[in-house]
Amino acid sequence: MLEVDNVSVNYGAVRAVHSVSLSVDEGEIVTLLGPNGAGKTSMLSAIIGLVPVAEGTVTFEGQNINRLDTESRVARGITVTPEGRHVFANLTVEENLILGAAIRRDADGVARDLETYLDMFPILRERFKQSGGSLSGGEQQMLAVVRALMSGPKLLMLDEPSLGLAPQIVDQIFKLISGLRDHGLTLLVVEQNAQEALKFADRAYILSSGNLEFAGTAEELRTSADLMKAYIGEGVS
Amino acid sequence: MQYVAEQALNALSIGAEYSLLALGLAIVFSVMGLVNFAHGEFLGVGGYIMYAMALFGAGDIWMILPVCLLTVVITAVLLERVAFRPVRRAPATTGLLTAFGVAIILQNVFLMGVSPRPKAVPAVAVLNTTVDIGSFTFTILQFLEAGVTAIAIVLLVVFMRRTKLGLAMRAAAHDFTTVRLMGVRANRVIATAFAISGFLAGLAAIFFIARRGAIDPFMGLLPVLKAFVACVLGGFGSLPGAVVGGLVLGILEVVLIILLPDFLAGLRDAAVFFIIGAILVGRPQGILGKKAELGDKTA
Amino acid sequence: MDSGRPRRRLWHVEGARTLRSVRGATIIAAFAVGIGLLIMLFGEPYQVRLAVAAYINLILVLGLQIFMGNANVANLAHPGFMGLGAYLTSIFAVPLVIKKTLIPNAPFGLGEVQLGVVSSFVAAVSITGIIAALTGLVLVRLSGIAATILTLAILVIIHGVFVHWVDLFRGTQAFYGIPKVAGIETMMIATALVILVARLFKDSRIGVQLRASATNMLAAEAMGVNIRALRLIAWVLGGVVCGIAGALYAYYLGTVNARAFYFHAAFLTLAMHILGGMRSVTGAVVGVALISVAMELIRHLESGPVILGAQLPDLFGLGSLMLGVIIVLVMCLRSDGLMGGLELDEVLDRHWKRWRRGG
Ligand SMILES: Nc1ncnc2c1ncn2[C@@H]1O[C@H](COP(=O)(O)OP(=O)(O)OP(=O)(O)O)[C@@H](O)[C@H]1O
Ligand SMILES: [Mg+2]
Repeated sequence: MLEVDNVSVNYGAVRAVHSVSLSVDEGEIVTLLGPNGAGKTSMLSAIIGLVPVAEGTVTFEGQNINRLDTESRVARGITVTPEGRHVFANLTVEENLILGAAIRRDADGVARDLETYLDMFPILRERFKQSGGSLSGGEQQMLAVVRALMSGPKLLMLDEPSLGLAPQIVDQIFKLISGLRDHGLTLLVVEQNAQEALKFADRAYILSSGNLEFAGTAEELRTSADLMKAYIGEGVS
Repeated sequence: MQYVAEQALNALSIGAEYSLLALGLAIVFSVMGLVNFAHGEFLGVGGYIMYAMALFGAGDIWMILPVCLLTVVITAVLLERVAFRPVRRAPATTGLLTAFGVAIILQNVFLMGVSPRPKAVPAVAVLNTTVDIGSFTFTILQFLEAGVTAIAIVLLVVFMRRTKLGLAMRAAAHDFTTVRLMGVRANRVIATAFAISGFLAGLAAIFFIARRGAIDPFMGLLPVLKAFVACVLGGFGSLPGAVVGGLVLGILEVVLIILLPDFLAGLRDAAVFFIIGAILVGRPQGILGKKAELGDKTA
Repeated sequence: MDSGRPRRRLWHVEGARTLRSVRGATIIAAFAVGIGLLIMLFGEPYQVRLAVAAYINLILVLGLQIFMGNANVANLAHPGFMGLGAYLTSIFAVPLVIKKTLIPNAPFGLGEVQLGVVSSFVAAVSITGIIAALTGLVLVRLSGIAATILTLAILVIIHGVFVHWVDLFRGTQAFYGIPKVAGIETMMIATALVILVARLFKDSRIGVQLRASATNMLAAEAMGVNIRALRLIAWVLGGVVCGIAGALYAYYLGTVNARAFYFHAAFLTLAMHILGGMRSVTGAVVGVALISVAMELIRHLESGPVILGAQLPDLFGLGSLMLGVIIVLVMCLRSDGLMGGLELDEVLDRHWKRWRRGG
């Protein structure tokens, strides 16, 4: 579904991603791991078109999308929940969700999806008329995920969905994420919380200082203490 | 009593004019962080198109009004496309200076295209017809200014709350990048903001010219300055703030007209600015503005 | 150990920096004055007049640069301060006989006062500085766009006072009879001194802190930099320099009219400032030189010249139109201006180094 081929990303003279290749197949959950400043967000930004690709190609459903702007990529079915959530604080939960479905023309479908997701995330129904800024961190993360889902994406990319959330909430969020696969979604999840991410991912990539350090199945990484230690660090046991 | 009612309506109608202009400025600023100093020249565009139509015999008021509005809207959208898009990502000062440049260009296009001297535009003078209600005397224009502005504000609120594009504009005021991630075209949001600001300025142009009956190349300068002041007064970028700021400015002006002795009448504008400077000393963030926090989108 | 050492080292660094600024200013001033000398020696009288006008504009632009270039706040009040300098000089310096007919009802007993040329200059510039300080107290409380709008309001207020305080400023009528004591030599000396001041200020600790904080006021404030004080200093210094431009203007022309200190002057000098590059003192020189020449050429077109036998129509307004075009183009294509924040001496040093390495 998504092919990233030898992509590099530059910020001025600084190269944040060095010729990285990765792929995501339909129906898969792939996780992209790595320490702070590894270039994970830059990679997602390049895929969605917020930063230009300096070298290499991004292919989605067999078509080169290098030259498409962000809006067109979203229209093709890629979407991302940005790092730090970026809920529209001055809009209500309802308005956030309507805006999430901005590209869709099928009003019935939107209404149906809205009901489905509100059933899945009942807390959002409770907060429906509240402003996005008044939600708690975990609630905002759910809102950001549902907002992205409302566009009816084929590929959903999540940038550190567990960032700054309490462990129980993290559990909850990850459960919801793995449930999304059953809705026919393909996921690319950026995480620093490797242990949790590897529980539900099929495959994993590890970035470090802009270089691809590991590519393989989540199983491999999970079961090999050495690999974990080498790439994810001492913090995990 | 009669005097008070007449002056109150006068303040309201003048304030409404400033509010229309200030709202347009605030919409564009909130969406893309541009301080459009050329906004005042939209009055000129409206005025000169009215003048041109009358010149070529299309003097019917029901023709003139829609054409005036449409021309101003088109000008606003075109300006964005040509002059402001290249500086969209630039710092606020760059955008402001670009707008200065655009204002100078438009003023001198009017000057070279028509005349440096004022020209009479009687086309919309009919709006100045007076009506007597009981013992009170008002002009139609005063009612229109207050009424049309109120309607425009209500429509604007509905648009901003009920349409996807309106939601996107409100969202963009805080976080434009994420709006793009929703698949909403940045260009469309910004073009809409300019179209709305042009439409409101078109309305203001009609009222402005009906009041004064004449146009000149630099007619936009003082009104845009006052609209800016209204914005600063209300809290820059806040739409309710723009309306409140405009009304306060209108009231202040009328009060000064009443209070200032004749020989100081010429200092009215100076006095208005002076008082507002004094208000800003106490509340630098404006009447409705919040104190800026680290990381806020500020002007 | 030797506790005196670090302080001496610091002084050393400061001293070296100051020397570098003085050297830089000298190079820029030599460039600016050199052009004038050439015109003085080889130019026709009307070209000398143009050069004088350019020097006055240059001093005004430098006054603009001191505040705008360092605090990064677009400013339009500067012609107002120039006007103050010009009018106040006139009020003090005009001979009593003429003053009786000009402003017979002058307030504060000014009708009875006549000062010498230098005293008038000093008094006028000082009062301009005090007024700048008063307005500055309000101005520094605002940031960014709000501050810019306040500068516009200040311009309108000052102009309003000129035009409506007839007893003191003669309203829309011209003020005349000022001793014409300034020629191109005076302008060149004044310009060189002002270039030195602007450059020293730019490289001073205040200037450096101001520019560093300009990008993010709140962050700088959080780090304990008192930006308001820094900006106030820049504002008053800039206002004083604008006042000097006004005083010289009055002493050169001998007559003063409020019209000269309004939006047209603001836009003209703003365009000059932007074209050269706001962050550079050299930029002011470059911008003033280029636009002065361009405006003169355009002025020929405006009066409908005969080109290749064809009488062109009057194009009054073309000059201003081009100013607008220049501003828009510079902003869209090179918002840092021609100099891009660099100074002449820095550019020369670079070329010199490259040349030595190449040779
Ligand atoms: N807009 C930018 N301009 C300049 N450099 C940037 C920019 N964004 C990121 N970088 C740099 O690129 C490198 C990679 O950053 P990136 O945000 O992609 O890392 P990350 O893996 O997402 O880190 P984190 O886990 O902390 O979010 C970093 O060194 C960062 O400083
Ligand atoms: Mg990141």
